[in-house]
Amino acid sequence: MTRIVEVPAYFDDRSFDQFAQGFGAWPPEERVLVDARTATWASPYGLVGLLTAAQALREAHREKPLFTVPASDEVRRYWAKTGFFRHAADLFEIHGKVPRTPATEDSDHLLDITPVGASEDVHQVVGRIQERAARMLSHELGLEAKATMGFAMALSEACQNIVEHAGTSGWVAVHLYNFRKRLGRRVIVIAVSDAGLGFRRSLEATQAKRFGDRWGDASALEAALIQGVSRFRDPGRGQGLAGIKRYLSRWDGKISIRSGTARLSIVPKWDDDVPLAENLPFFPGSQVQVVIPAQEGGAR
Amino acid sequence: MIQTIPLGRVLKETVATPYCDLVTRPTGAAVRGYIQKAIAGSEAPTTMLDFTEVGLLDFSCADEIVAKLLLDTDPGTDRYVMLLGTREDHTEAIDHVLNHHALAIAVVTSPDEPPQLLGRVTPELQRVFHCVFRLGPGDAGSIADVLGWTLERAADALLTLSLLRLLRAEAGTFHPLPR
Repeated sequence: MTRIVEVPAYFDDRSFDQFAQGFGAWPPEERVLVDARTATWASPYGLVGLLTAAQALREAHREKPLFTVPASDEVRRYWAKTGFFRHAADLFEIHGKVPRTPATEDSDHLLDITPVGASEDVHQVVGRIQERAARMLSHELGLEAKATMGFAMALSEACQNIVEHAGTSGWVAVHLYNFRKRLGRRVIVIAVSDAGLGFRRSLEATQAKRFGDRWGDASALEAALIQGVSRFRDPGRGQGLAGIKRYLSRWDGKISIRSGTARLSIVPKWDDDVPLAENLPFFPGSQVQVVIPAQEGGAR
Repeated sequence: MIQTIPLGRVLKETVATPYCDLVTRPTGAAVRGYIQKAIAGSEAPTTMLDFTEVGLLDFSCADEIVAKLLLDTDPGTDRYVMLLGTREDHTEAIDHVLNHHALAIAVVTSPDEPPQLLGRVTPELQRVFHCVFRLGPGDAGSIADVLGWTLERAADALLTLSLLRLLRAEAGTFHPLPR
């Protein structure tokens, strides 16, 4: 038996739940076929989510999932340029023609899909991105020069969540695109995803008792993102997410974190997302998305 | 006597990275370990952490290097730490983490200006700190006279600044840190 999981045609944080639903009870017993044939677009959140699903299946000792590539040549080329197929080749049994296009950090990809598993990877990511980030944030988004360092800090802290808490490796990607549907402006998006413990399991030992009956994925996210709680007893912990929130409040950005069956967001005025979504289809690990919009009148 | 530690160079010696960014907790902990050894092995009462060659400093690394260095300092020792060569984004990260721990540190900006204070420092403490910097060593009475405060208020502020290791207390006299 094979379970077919369809990749939504427009695959982003909003349609992610539809994708997660496809897996049913986790981990699925059947071999999984991830069908991307009808995909027409994927955000970095969608792409790192695909890799996370395959990684989680591997870590659950399930058979290597199958993957059918997008039918559209243009979409395949775009995904290849993000580095998706380079990593997918190791995690999926790929069916369909994969372009030979090498991953490139072109005008839209600030950072192609990059694995993060250790502190050195965070150094690499932050080091590689800064010069391009400075150019993009000022030219494309109309942000002041000092926004660049805050952006790199936010990226660093988001990646460190994997290193410090996931218990396994994960993925990061940073892309620039036009957020026509929701905002009508360009945005820069950081997507970080791992197939690890998730927030609930990470915080359970220290926080479950405090929340009592309310304890679950949503309250774990609330503890981490709103209350700045960390699983470590070290009082200096928990400042990474606080730092990201501080940066985003200055530049009218958005952060949303999905873990297990819940998603918690700090929603700026320009977005109509709900702050908390509960009882979502389960998905392993944690998925973080940070969105920084062009300043009004600042985007090209 | 002052010991200056160039953090950009320390980073290259402690972590195998071609970049000049102080990011991640393990990196911060390694750099802090180097600094603590250097302080222990030096006669200088003041150690200046030089950020001139540092690129990015993230919150986690700022916490590991600056906040934990101050938290680990033995209150009985006559050792002080100041910062040098910080950019706006560095001071922002350091200020954030020090506030979290109710700590403070002084940043040397230019020879003629009083050091900038980062962290949990009230305007009242800032005023006394600047007063000592301007007038030189003094006691609670002299500070109270200059500011028109009660003796108790001035004494409280001076004691708090010395507990935060922003001034050096010696037999009832409060000294600016040597720079």
